[in-house]
Amino acid sequence: MTKQNRVRNVTENPCNMCMPMGAIVPFKGIENAMIIIHGSQGCATYMRRHMAEHFNEPIDVASSSITEQGTIYGGENNLKKGLENVMQLYKPELVGILSTCLAETIGEDLGRTASSFTREQGEGFTARLVPVSTPGYGGGHYEGYIQALYSIVVQLSQKTEKHDRINVFVPHISPADIREIKRILELMEIKYTLLPDISETLDSPYIQPYRRIPAGGTPLQEIEAMPGARATIEFMTMLEDELSPGKYLESEFGVPLYRLPLPMGIEACDELLRVLKKLSSKAVPEVIKKERGRLLDAMVDSHKYNGAGRAAVFAEPEVLYGVTRIMAENGILPAVLATGSKSPALKKLLQSLTADCDEKAIILLDSDFVSIQDHCANRKINLAVGNSDGRFISEQVGIPLVRIGFPIHDRIGGQRILSVGYNGTMMLMDRITNTLLAEKLSSYRQDMYQSLYKYPSAAANDH
Amino acid sequence: MINNRILDEILGQYPVKVKKNRKKHIVIKDADMDRQEIDANTRTIPGVITNRGCAYAGCKGVVLGPLKDVVHIVHGPVGCGYYAWLTRRNKAKSEDPTKNYMTYCFSTDMQESDIVFGGEKKLTRMIDEVVEVFKPEAVTISATCPVGLIGDDIGQVAKNAHAKYPEVNFTAYSCEGYKGVSQSAGHHIANNGLMQHVIGQGNMEEVPSSFTLNILGEYNIGGDGWEIKQMLEEIGYHIQTVMTGDGSYEELKNAHVSNLNLVQCHRSINYIADMLEIKYGTPWLKVNFIGIDSTIKSLRDMALYFSDQGLMERTEAYIMRELQKVETLLEPYKRICEGKTAFCFVGGSRGHHYQGLYKELGIDTILAGYEFAHRDDYEGREIIDSIKLDADSQNIPNLTVEPDVNRYRVKVSPEKMEELKEKIPLNYYEGMMRSMHEGSIIVDDLNHYETEELIRILKPDIFSSGIKDKYVVQKMGIPTKQLHNYDYSGPYAGFGGAVNFARDIAMSLASPTWNYTVPPWHSKPLLEGKILERVSDNA
Ligand code: SF4
Ligand code: SF4
Repeated sequence: MTKQNRVRNVTENPCNMCMPMGAIVPFKGIENAMIIIHGSQGCATYMRRHMAEHFNEPIDVASSSITEQGTIYGGENNLKKGLENVMQLYKPELVGILSTCLAETIGEDLGRTASSFTREQGEGFTARLVPVSTPGYGGGHYEGYIQALYSIVVQLSQKTEKHDRINVFVPHISPADIREIKRILELMEIKYTLLPDISETLDSPYIQPYRRIPAGGTPLQEIEAMPGARATIEFMTMLEDELSPGKYLESEFGVPLYRLPLPMGIEACDELLRVLKKLSSKAVPEVIKKERGRLLDAMVDSHKYNGAGRAAVFAEPEVLYGVTRIMAENGILPAVLATGSKSPALKKLLQSLTADCDEKAIILLDSDFVSIQDHCANRKINLAVGNSDGRFISEQVGIPLVRIGFPIHDRIGGQRILSVGYNGTMMLMDRITNTLLAEKLSSYRQDMYQSLYKYPSAAANDH
Repeated sequence: MINNRILDEILGQYPVKVKKNRKKHIVIKDADMDRQEIDANTRTIPGVITNRGCAYAGCKGVVLGPLKDVVHIVHGPVGCGYYAWLTRRNKAKSEDPTKNYMTYCFSTDMQESDIVFGGEKKLTRMIDEVVEVFKPEAVTISATCPVGLIGDDIGQVAKNAHAKYPEVNFTAYSCEGYKGVSQSAGHHIANNGLMQHVIGQGNMEEVPSSFTLNILGEYNIGGDGWEIKQMLEEIGYHIQTVMTGDGSYEELKNAHVSNLNLVQCHRSINYIADMLEIKYGTPWLKVNFIGIDSTIKSLRDMALYFSDQGLMERTEAYIMRELQKVETLLEPYKRICEGKTAFCFVGGSRGHHYQGLYKELGIDTILAGYEFAHRDDYEGREIIDSIKLDADSQNIPNLTVEPDVNRYRVKVSPEKMEELKEKIPLNYYEGMMRSMHEGSIIVDDLNHYETEELIRILKPDIFSSGIKDKYVVQKMGIPTKQLHNYDYSGPYAGFGGAVNFARDIAMSLASPTWNYTVPPWHSKPLLEGKILERVSDNA
């Protein structure tokens, strides 16, 4: 399709999933937690399907299965029955209750239902219910994630004695990324509560017997104790204050807040290490120093190939920012930068990050893939980095895609992709560089032949 | 083996009412009983992890979505549109790639303000743009949950659009996710719409060849439809349209001319099959192209229907040739599969269709069930009249059609029909339970909890189902085969497909991976472990 062949007022090939989908993830990162989605069962089923295909893991998310009758008389009963069954079969310590378009449109009050359910269960009922309003039309999955994370902290944290842990809030990154951040914290001998910790729950090892709720996740008691922490690190630089759990803990309980970008790219990793050094009595250990050295070495090796890269990147805001930083540090032109989210802070950050680039970056918020594709053609893009929905661009205009973020549906191992820390940066950079190299090497001969001899392409194709 | 006592123990974990409900959805086959009743197509229990989807998934996702030359607009918030964007593996290719919209996802992306003020204007605007830019011949509009609740009249929007663009076919489907109890409601809604507004819109009056037929309920997952089409064309049939795998508006609008309708997945399409018979006089034949015996039977049934000497001969020649081809290919796989057991829990017809193929490989299906089937899919079509319609089913409009004055033709005389019905499944399908053996277990709307419990007890060698339960099962150490999307494999239909299936199943069963599931530090060493120790002792 050519450029003028585009539908513009409406969304075509969206970059976005809906709010409740994003809100599932933080709950999956809490120990012994379950989730129920209040609405028709289709929403929960679709979301489970999409998450299972990305993480290659069981995604048990319940639904209150509202039917037509429920839309008329209200869905409270369904939700209570659903909660009862979830409690009985899964015995969770915590249940996240998420709403949907349907629940919000018919005006369901999750908070009221949750408290009356707790009351009805009587004395012995100790599970915590955390209702979060997530109308699908209220935002994308990024917004849902943030909303859930914020609600978890606000609803669960309690005034606590001071202790020696720090709080760490992460955006939606892979289980492998979270394991890497934890490893760095442990190397620095810093005790922490990281939320949400999906490193085990959404990438669980093969272990018998099977556990209905996978092991791992942030312990509930530690979330409750977050107000007593020494400090908070929030790997989200573009959150508005009203949705920042770190800001909340700072203003309500005086926990000092460090807001850092995701440690992607050498500069962001250095920033993290600077803060960690401050929070730890320990010197930066040899292992980390070597990792930094290896990254630098890799950057030297790669920059001559990367100079040819003209990239389109599409991802959730924090990851998008991180990937762009890596590119800017190593001479890849971040030419088209897109996200399905509306985050206004992101735009400013990206603008200042790319201010020195040779060509002005095109920044697309609230975007869809068709707009991205149009810009790819205009800007002679030769590399795409983002989730697997970008494969349609790859297929249609022949731009290779380096997969990162969520969802990755056409390749295995989305949960294991590592892209943070000095190590992760190096690995992502290698994937990018090698993709550029593969392209270059596969067309090298033909290009040379054509440019030197100017034969008709049919002849060149014989070689 | 499972018995009622064990079953009671499993169900005993549920609250009392839930236990009572679930019990009616589970049957242990008793061959002495003439008929066993099972509850199906009733509301899902809230809070259990079901595999069922919604009406919208059944309508837009399953039935309409594969029509490749049609622009499918999803009217609703962006999520539902996104989730049904090429998530089924229905393949499609087009002569004219600019008329293939399969990789597009069009959503009106309703926002909060649209929920408050209504989304009809936004939808109208989208239609204008889509028509202008893509110039499609047909457009479908599928509603998701909020649309019905806020009272958008998509039917009216479609009518207005048609008045404005008379050359374009517009159909609107009120398939809000809360309708009915599963995808099944959506199939019905889609069937009604296609019957009313698409089939018969073409101006073809003469049947292109006397062996012209439509294939209904074949969605070309993993290329199954192509496999079937190729086989039938080789024998001498002319396929007018496939509903709806790799299907098109172009072909579908002339589906009325065919002399026979084949029905592969009856659950999703039997409504249309019936309506086509009433309106155009086209009988339908239940076929099953999964498994070699079933394929052979289906081919022979078809030949018998047309009762043409040449056709019958070509059919037999084809069967003989293909049988010879596949027999040696299947041999090594059969050796691996022989004696194994399977769970087969899929959709609304595959739970049954695949049992024959499993059997041919020597695999015994010890548990089977459907996600969204009705009682007749378990018990046989003869019980349809005795099914009591509950409120949820009554909410799905039942379309009544009349014979078309100009186009109704008697394709087979009533006498011949009666005679044929004795021999071949014309306008009939058998229930799954009939073909299952004594002591096997039939479960409707199996959920994650029951899956786990039943695996613990029955320890099947392979579990075929979908992507949502697949990882639960694999984590328990049981290989799986996705029979919704085939794990990116296929085709599995026809003779060649059976070989592909056998290869994939054998590969899963024999994968060396399973040899390593017990770690060396395991406290109770397995037999192999001991032997190895002795070997190393000697060394
Ligand atoms: S249940 Fe409703 S809101 Fe959910 S996916 Fe289906 S149509 Fe969409
Ligand atoms: S957009 Fe709304 S209705 Fe659709 S899947 Fe998301 S929550 Fe459900």
